[in-house]
Amino acid sequence: MEGFNTASKNPATHGLIFRQAAQPCSRPDTSETAAPLADLVRRAQKGEEAAQRALILAYQRRVAGFIYAIAGRSDSIEDLAQTVFIKMVRGLERLHDPAQFEAWLFRLARNACIDYLRRQRLRRIFTPFIAEHTDIPEPPGAVDTEELDALRHALSRLRPADRALLALAQEGRSQAEMAKITGTSVVVIKARLHRARERLREYYQPHHET
Amino acid sequence: MKPETESHAWRQLEDHAAACLPAGFASRVLSAARPPEARVWNELEAHAAAQLQAGFADRVLRAMRAAMPVQMPSVFSQFALSAATAALCLIAVVYVHDRSTRLENERNLASWQQVAMEAQDIDLSP
Repeated sequence: MEGFNTASKNPATHGLIFRQAAQPCSRPDTSETAAPLADLVRRAQKGEEAAQRALILAYQRRVAGFIYAIAGRSDSIEDLAQTVFIKMVRGLERLHDPAQFEAWLFRLARNACIDYLRRQRLRRIFTPFIAEHTDIPEPPGAVDTEELDALRHALSRLRPADRALLALAQEGRSQAEMAKITGTSVVVIKARLHRARERLREYYQPHHET
Repeated sequence: MKPETESHAWRQLEDHAAACLPAGFASRVLSAARPPEARVWNELEAHAAAQLQAGFADRVLRAMRAAMPVQMPSVFSQFALSAATAALCLIAVVYVHDRSTRLENERNLASWQQVAMEAQDIDLSP
């Protein structure tokens, strides 16, 4: 499995650490990390394949996690991640401010997931028995721990839009960025995020604690 | 009531109330009050990342190159194509209109000629 560590060994990403593995939920955006990222984005915008590959390697883990939190299915992660990164590479030249890269990337990922869930819903309407074939739940224990199972189940009980908000918050996006991504106001985002967190707390019940 | 008796009664009340709480009350309250920890979110991310097979980045770049769209035509050529299409449509409309008008006129003229001949016949008849 190639991951972030592989990326940091790559000459194209030498010294590029956007996020510490030991602190998964803190998303540092200091000038130290932002400068090489902006440089990498600019090189990728010029069509440099090594830079494009480095961006994919650097973000594939976070994007995969983000997709899983929203789509909720292990078997669709790779396809969706591929769609997101293809859109990323194709759309890079339209990104005017490299500093906005992360927010822009997660907007692509969020939209791809929402589109995917919408298509799944439409397929269920127009194709008989599709639900029986596609909605096969992942068996308990298919994921690593009880807590992860509990989180997965709690997320699956939320609306996709709420899952997307929680995943964006988890990715360290500010409420202003979330408002921009979802096309609403910060006030609405605050209220929806608060409600989504309340619901997640309500539904999140690891078995050993009940 | 004596102070000792009162405090004893309070303790009994507390004991009774505490006995009403279900087992695991504390952890249930804590789990309800706390969001899933960052560690669990990290596990979710790790699980998701493990679903990406080795060589994912290269596959993405290959797939992108394979599905690379053909060179988009320029704005001018798109405009020229639109203008040519519109001109062709206009010519076709004018031609069809002209042809149908001419046929209609010929038909009308023929019928008027027939009427005129019939009128002439009536005039000539004694």
